[in-house]
Amino acid sequence: MSYNLKSALSVTAAFLMSTTALYAADDLNALVWCDHTDPALLQPFEEQHGVRVNVKEYEGTAAGFAILDQSRTGDWDIMVIDTVDVARGAEEGRFASLPADAVDTSSFFPEVVMADNNTHDGQIYGVTEKFGYNTIAFNSSKVDAGDMEDMSNLWSGKYDGRIAVYDYYLPVLGLIGLEQGIATSDLDAAAVERLRDRTYGLKSAALQVSDVVASQTALATGEVDILIGGGEWVTAVLSAENPELDWSVPAEGALRWSQSVTMLESSENQELALEFIKYITGPEGQARLATSSCYWGMPANSAAGRELTDAEKAALRWDQQADYLIRTQLYPTPDADLDLAMQDLWTDMLQQ
Amino acid sequence: MSIEQQEKRRALGFVAPALLWTCAFFLVPFAVMVLLSLAHLEGREIIQSYDLGNYLKIFTEPSLFKGIVVSLEITLIVTIISVLLAWPLAWIIATQVPEKYQRLAIMLAVLPFWTSYVVRSYSWALVLGQQGVLMQMLMGIGFLDEPIQIMATRGATVIGFVHFFVMLLTLTIYSNLIQLSPNYARAAADLGASGWNTFRLVILPLTLPGIMTGAFLTFVLCIGDYITPQILGGNNELTMPQLIMLQLGRRGDFPMASALSVILMLLVTLAYAATARWLKMERV
Amino acid sequence: MRMLGWAYMAAIFIFIFLPVVVLVLFSFQESRLPVPPFDGPTLKWYTQVIADRNLMEALRNSLFVALISAAIALLLGFFAAQGLSRVKLPGSVLMRGVLIAPMTVSYLIIALGLLTVFNNMGFRPSLWTTGIGHVVINLPLCFAILFAAMGDHQKNAERAARDLGASEIQIMFLVTAPMLKPALLAAYFLAVTFSWDEFIIAFLLTRFDVTLPVEIWSMLRSGLSPATNAIGSLVFLVSIAILIILEFTVFRKPKS
Repeated sequence: MSYNLKSALSVTAAFLMSTTALYAADDLNALVWCDHTDPALLQPFEEQHGVRVNVKEYEGTAAGFAILDQSRTGDWDIMVIDTVDVARGAEEGRFASLPADAVDTSSFFPEVVMADNNTHDGQIYGVTEKFGYNTIAFNSSKVDAGDMEDMSNLWSGKYDGRIAVYDYYLPVLGLIGLEQGIATSDLDAAAVERLRDRTYGLKSAALQVSDVVASQTALATGEVDILIGGGEWVTAVLSAENPELDWSVPAEGALRWSQSVTMLESSENQELALEFIKYITGPEGQARLATSSCYWGMPANSAAGRELTDAEKAALRWDQQADYLIRTQLYPTPDADLDLAMQDLWTDMLQQ
Repeated sequence: MSIEQQEKRRALGFVAPALLWTCAFFLVPFAVMVLLSLAHLEGREIIQSYDLGNYLKIFTEPSLFKGIVVSLEITLIVTIISVLLAWPLAWIIATQVPEKYQRLAIMLAVLPFWTSYVVRSYSWALVLGQQGVLMQMLMGIGFLDEPIQIMATRGATVIGFVHFFVMLLTLTIYSNLIQLSPNYARAAADLGASGWNTFRLVILPLTLPGIMTGAFLTFVLCIGDYITPQILGGNNELTMPQLIMLQLGRRGDFPMASALSVILMLLVTLAYAATARWLKMERV
Repeated sequence: MRMLGWAYMAAIFIFIFLPVVVLVLFSFQESRLPVPPFDGPTLKWYTQVIADRNLMEALRNSLFVALISAAIALLLGFFAAQGLSRVKLPGSVLMRGVLIAPMTVSYLIIALGLLTVFNNMGFRPSLWTTGIGHVVINLPLCFAILFAAMGDHQKNAERAARDLGASEIQIMFLVTAPMLKPALLAAYFLAVTFSWDEFIIAFLLTRFDVTLPVEIWSMLRSGLSPATNAIGSLVFLVSIAILIILEFTVFRKPKS
């Protein structure tokens, strides 16, 4: 009896030591989007620096800031965030300014450097790392590609029950706004309210409102034929096995998403954090990030092109970027109140 | 001090650690949550205002109120279907299966219990999808011409739930049934009661504790579950746990999440009050 | 009538086993999507899962939390049952009610309450906070099982031991515990299972060091893949194996 107790205790102690040992080492704690959870992306950095990168995913800037607010000082070193929200976070004193020479953006696609968004008061706070589009993705073997050039066809009834809506209020409300002729930068409380009927209409035409994976699955298995809010991030990862999946930017335009990597002001590990930013924006990190497991997307740094295969570049539509960049708009940038109003509209839509 | 008093003091000492734990990590957090539900969010700041604003909003905002309705509807449907499916199974196992195989039959009936909870809902998604096994089979045998839509509907959520709770209820009803003496049924038959009357007047009342214990557990677990509707429901209607997680995950609105939780708690308490006289929670 | 009974049983068994069979079958799927047609078999998803650092760590974390939190719940529940079954205390009905109460509450509410309190106190979410939550849900279970199992014959044995001069601790570990061995084991294994498979408390109260259900959840959210089937099948297999071992050792009815 006592022998058993003793051995149980020693097993327990061994467990304890092994768990704590892992976290005693120099760790980098990163609050990220799901594409940064791919071990293939993190491993080279971890091996090179002999550290561990702990990642926690979140969705939506509001939720990310809420997590920061509930954390203790020093809990986080890195945050991946919508590029359009970098300045807001910097203004609230969340991010640390980056040395001007930390990242060389000369080989970046010029349109996505987005210096205005990544700086505040003349200081750099974020670096764009990845971008892509929230537009209309569809199954070209079942949908008339011509119909997808005009967004209003989605409400025509022709595709009722064959549509999935990506469950993220910012890009989809932005898209509905574009369909109504409202630029994303003009979205205010009154404009958002005007989208209500159109949003409900979309819900009744849709089979489901789903997250990244459920959307991918529904498209890949033929559950739905159209994904609103979709783009290369949903089709590229499936391109090898489902070549019939396609996406287009309709005449009304579409949204461009882009994510930036930032360093937290309260980080006690800024040196390592800076190294991580350099890695993730360098050619190797960029190529791995572009093709990471949760979703694919264009690397901000065109130098990543050297590391990507032709098939990967084709799936990302590397050569058509110039056209897309012109025809797309950035995400809406609501303040806290408008953000809540947009979320309320979204919840109302889900409950329709 | 008398021996009896000494005994009592010692007994109290034994109970104290468990009581303290439950108070510190269950009662106190719940009280804090009730307080927090009286606060509200301004921008991203939580303002402790001690008012019923959140509750008012829940009952006036259609999208929030519908969460209560949806949750109650799904939970009641699931509980009723599960009882109706599980009772005959428990009865068959207890009366038709030879005694030495009964334990095996029951173990088989609850075997999928042991798959991971998250994976169980996911498996149903694989079964129920348009390209899923079920539709392919039904079309293969010519029963259907084209797949019908079950995935991403309330039907899928209900099926996922019923699967789990049929197992649970079979267990509670079966353990109730085997405690009954077969003599009851025989005596009733001897007294000239028909099969239906024997069932209605003798057997059913005697198995009510098992049914009610299982039904109450079903109610609690079903109404509080986030995973099953989230994976199978396709976001076409939101249950209360989904609304709570939405408040937490997207808005960081702890006060509203707390208020919704308090209401969830009240619903469970009502269910408890309704079934309490049959429940023997200490003997589950 | 009898035929109908068997047919009914068969139908329900098909319903109960359908998702499990599909889960296991498509873990051997060759292509990327676990939907028909089946094009396996292959073991590649199992190799992938076993090589997955995060999953294996989550597995270890889950074991750690389950074994320890169940042990604490068992100990607390055992003491409480011992205290309450032995003498009639004033307010013992209330005490029993308080101890059982967490069993009648949704896990989500327990998780949210703890999250709020820990946030306010500045506790970081971790395996420890998750463990605390799991003790809360398992304590009523352990208490209920042990309280129901304590009877007169064991009280008599305790009294006899006390008359012979045994200390309270000796009585508890040398008399009571061995007499309650089946109930203690049942309570412990049930508590381990509940903790091992619990999702929402672990989801809200961990940060990086997650448990297996949380890791499987994020796996689900990062891509449809037969790898999810593979880890699901593995967990099922291990649980069944443990169950069978227990059935033939611990819970085996002594031959009369």
